[in-house]
Amino acid sequence: MLQCLDGLKHLFASVLHCCDIDLYKQPRGLGDPELLARETVFSVSEIEALYELFKKISSAVIDDGLINKEEFQLALFKTNKKESLFADRVFDLFDTKHNGILGFEEFARALSVFHPNAPIDDKIEFSFQLYDLKQQGYIERQEVKQMVVATLAESGMNLSDDVIESIIDKTFEEADTKHDGRIDKEEWRSLVLRHPSLLKNMTLQYLKDITTTFPSFVFHSQVDDT
Amino acid sequence: MAKLTNLNAFDIISLSSGFDLSGLFVENDEKKEVQFTSTHTFSSITSKLGDIAQNLKLKVKKQGGLMKMEGTSGGRKGALAIDAEIFEFTPSFHLVELRKSSGDTLEFQKTLKQDVRPALKDIVWAWQGQPHQQS
Repeated sequence: MLQCLDGLKHLFASVLHCCDIDLYKQPRGLGDPELLARETVFSVSEIEALYELFKKISSAVIDDGLINKEEFQLALFKTNKKESLFADRVFDLFDTKHNGILGFEEFARALSVFHPNAPIDDKIEFSFQLYDLKQQGYIERQEVKQMVVATLAESGMNLSDDVIESIIDKTFEEADTKHDGRIDKEEWRSLVLRHPSLLKNMTLQYLKDITTTFPSFVFHSQVDDT
Repeated sequence: MAKLTNLNAFDIISLSSGFDLSGLFVENDEKKEVQFTSTHTFSSITSKLGDIAQNLKLKVKKQGGLMKMEGTSGGRKGALAIDAEIFEFTPSFHLVELRKSSGDTLEFQKTLKQDVRPALKDIVWAWQGQPHQQS
């Protein structure tokens, strides 16, 4: 019995140790721009320009080369006083290491999906995960209602419950072709291919001009022009 | 005149400013498009927009729920042209998108601030990303 407990204690300690190591090893800095360029739709120049933006955002509250939730909110809303269900979802999807902070690699890889040249399948996948609040692989009616109500609340709009229900009825009638009360990936895909405006937020035209918006990379480019 | 309908729950959700990452790149007053919600009818909205276009001496062309408003005098980057597109959630709940279709973005923003926004005060429920202002 005592040996068991000891064993457990060792196991626990090494798990904690592992977590500590991960946290300390969150890479800071630009990393490998050529690797990132190969694995995203960005060119090396765009990666470097994106890094300038990253530096601006990540130094706003704590100058540690990482973006925390507060800095993300500040960058999005120009105020850190605004909480948003949606900004939280976006941040969580960017945070692929699930440690509550965004390193440059996570930032660049996530934003790559929003580039006008990114494959539409990536945009469809990202938006599906965004709306799948409970991350169970389906967008449920209750999740849709929660998001609709939250959005309307943001603008102080008070639609009656009847009206909200009828808008959601109409949506599910069209989207839920399997009639199981929820929208799966396939159904989502069909829906957005019929209604491209639903993916509007998944494309940021500003990413195309990023090398002109953040030109300082030109002066400390780490890439050889050979 | 045919209206643009067929907006669904996800269109409402995509109005949320939390899902609009353009804020990472530009300030609000640098954007090329703005949206507002209105609890007025389609004809009330188009009528108001028509008045504004007239005051700004813009020529109006209507195509369904889209109003194209075009200036004639050249600015820094050519004449300012604004598109107003109206979407219906319900007959008394509409979304209007105003976007610059040509001309200078700064001029677009200036026109919005000085001429368009004040004139729309009576029909705007809320501008995107901002709560409804009690007047």
